[in-house]
Amino acid sequence: MKSGKIADIIQRLGVFLVYIVLWMPIVILVIMSFSNHAIGLRWQGFTLQWYVQVFNTPKAMEALKNSLFVSSIATVISTIGGTLAAYGLYKYKFRGRGALRMSVLLPITIPYVVTAATLLIFFTQVFRIPLGYISIIIAHITFSAPLAVFIVLGRMARVDWTLEEASADLGADKLTTWRKVIVPVLLPAIMISAALIFPWSFNDFTITYFVAGVGTMTLPIYIFSLMQYSRTPVVINAISSVFVILPIIGLLLVTFLQRREAT
Amino acid sequence: MEDRQSIPCVELRNVVKRFPGVIAVDHVDLEIEQGKIFTLLGPSGCGKTTALRLVAGLETLDEGDILIDGKVMNDIPPHRRNCSTVFQSLALFPHMTVEGNIAYGLERRKTPKNEIRKGVGEMLELVGLAVMEKRRPSQLSGGQRQRVAVARSLVLKPRVLLLDEPLAALDRKLRKEMQVELKRIQGEVGITFLYVTHDQKEALAISDTIAVMRAGKLEQAGAPDEIYNTPRTKFIADFMGASNILSGKAIATGDGKLQLETDSGLKVIALHNEDKGSNEITGISVHPELIELLPSDAGLEEENRFRGRITEMIYQGDFIETKISLSQTGELLTAHFPSRLELVTRLSVGEEVLVHWSPKSSNILLAQNSYLREEKSLY
Repeated sequence: MKSGKIADIIQRLGVFLVYIVLWMPIVILVIMSFSNHAIGLRWQGFTLQWYVQVFNTPKAMEALKNSLFVSSIATVISTIGGTLAAYGLYKYKFRGRGALRMSVLLPITIPYVVTAATLLIFFTQVFRIPLGYISIIIAHITFSAPLAVFIVLGRMARVDWTLEEASADLGADKLTTWRKVIVPVLLPAIMISAALIFPWSFNDFTITYFVAGVGTMTLPIYIFSLMQYSRTPVVINAISSVFVILPIIGLLLVTFLQRREAT
Repeated sequence: MEDRQSIPCVELRNVVKRFPGVIAVDHVDLEIEQGKIFTLLGPSGCGKTTALRLVAGLETLDEGDILIDGKVMNDIPPHRRNCSTVFQSLALFPHMTVEGNIAYGLERRKTPKNEIRKGVGEMLELVGLAVMEKRRPSQLSGGQRQRVAVARSLVLKPRVLLLDEPLAALDRKLRKEMQVELKRIQGEVGITFLYVTHDQKEALAISDTIAVMRAGKLEQAGAPDEIYNTPRTKFIADFMGASNILSGKAIATGDGKLQLETDSGLKVIALHNEDKGSNEITGISVHPELIELLPSDAGLEEENRFRGRITEMIYQGDFIETKISLSQTGELLTAHFPSRLELVTRLSVGEEVLVHWSPKSSNILLAQNSYLREEKSLY
């Protein structure tokens, strides 16, 4: 009885510590973004001035806009492309299908710096795509499309594929079957992919930094430059808080969609 | 109309379908009459589902012809074959309502909206789901989903409805209910059903004609009572639950009777019409319920009377499944004695009994090959 109680306490303590480590820095960051201290390291009374300053800095707003633009396009293309690729990998039998399916996970295991450097060489030396938004979007698609493939493939394994035959039997052509049956059935997985890919793309610094070129600014890169050169680095707290809030909204969305899929 | 009645609704002519390493359907000929329930029965892997998918157009055939209403369908895609399939998994569209599912086929045909509404309404009425139209498949019971699947196909008014083990997912009680329900629906719409199942009881209950398949070949086709009472081969006898199969050779014929000696030396009598070659006979089968119990003082003089010892009794409610080891040869017989008989209630394991079956209860079994040859010569 007694030892059971101790184990229970240890277990609770463990969970508590994990969440402290997970949330404490973020909570402090959010709190400090409201502090009146010049470099945001101590609490010196409440203020909203950093937020006001951020929203009044055209460069910051520009970077935010760029990031939203890049991530939106990358998310849409990755999700659609990933879904089509997953369908091909699932439905068509060909040599090397197994290996190809495995390799979908490869980008997750390769260090970002390596992927980034490889993409940079690819853009500058092989395909000669000028560095800028196009190269950033392509780079984001390369690391996020596999995620969509992975998630949609997982869903496909649980789909009753006689649905496709039934649709054909009832007179639908391939395209109609896609539109009316396959996409709706896969939609929860497609939405989950999008909800995960968007923040992933939005937050990416390493790869973007490598392939951005000169004069191209996404939000993570802007923050990095602030840390290096700004006289008021405290605005970083404010921007970062925005970064915290966006993924939380994304996560809530994912949870909601997963619940809906489960029913 | 006259004309339509005379040609079969579905016809398979020498149909062959091969998959890598197996012949799934091996030179099958069959005709399905208009407006009847025709069942393909057989164990799993016998090719019955493949045969159905060939008729549906979901598989392409390697040899032979498939005709629907006298027209060759070999190269016609599924949705232009005038048939519709109820799949084993039902394959209801999970994201659509009952109404949406039933309307799907009509929408693909670009049927006007008001006609779709009318057609869907009629079908809901027919299958008894009139108040469920706004529900999704996940909100329905197994039997209700079944009805939706049937309605979704029937709304297109096909010439043939193909049903691939549609009741396999249901529990026993519901399955029985749905058999009755399917038969009622078929009677109301008058559409030909091609039904595939591995459950011989289901086949007997639902069919007008049963065709038993084995290893890609059609082994026997006939009315349910014909298949049940006079299975032609050991395989069919066994599959239809005639658990007493006595292998042996014919040793004498005459007087419309045939004497057969089993491999263990038992002499049994069967009725015999002369046109069956006696050298093709491989044995007889007797259904367990046709074996009778006689008072132990009755004589042994008459045909098919044997003494034996009870080795096992299993109570089955209305009958007692009794295993009897024959004293003469050690052959093991299974009999289903009605449990209400007084003679039966006094029995116990180890007791000596006298059993009997009438010569007309002995069903003659033929070699599979000879039987097939005989069938061929009928055409």
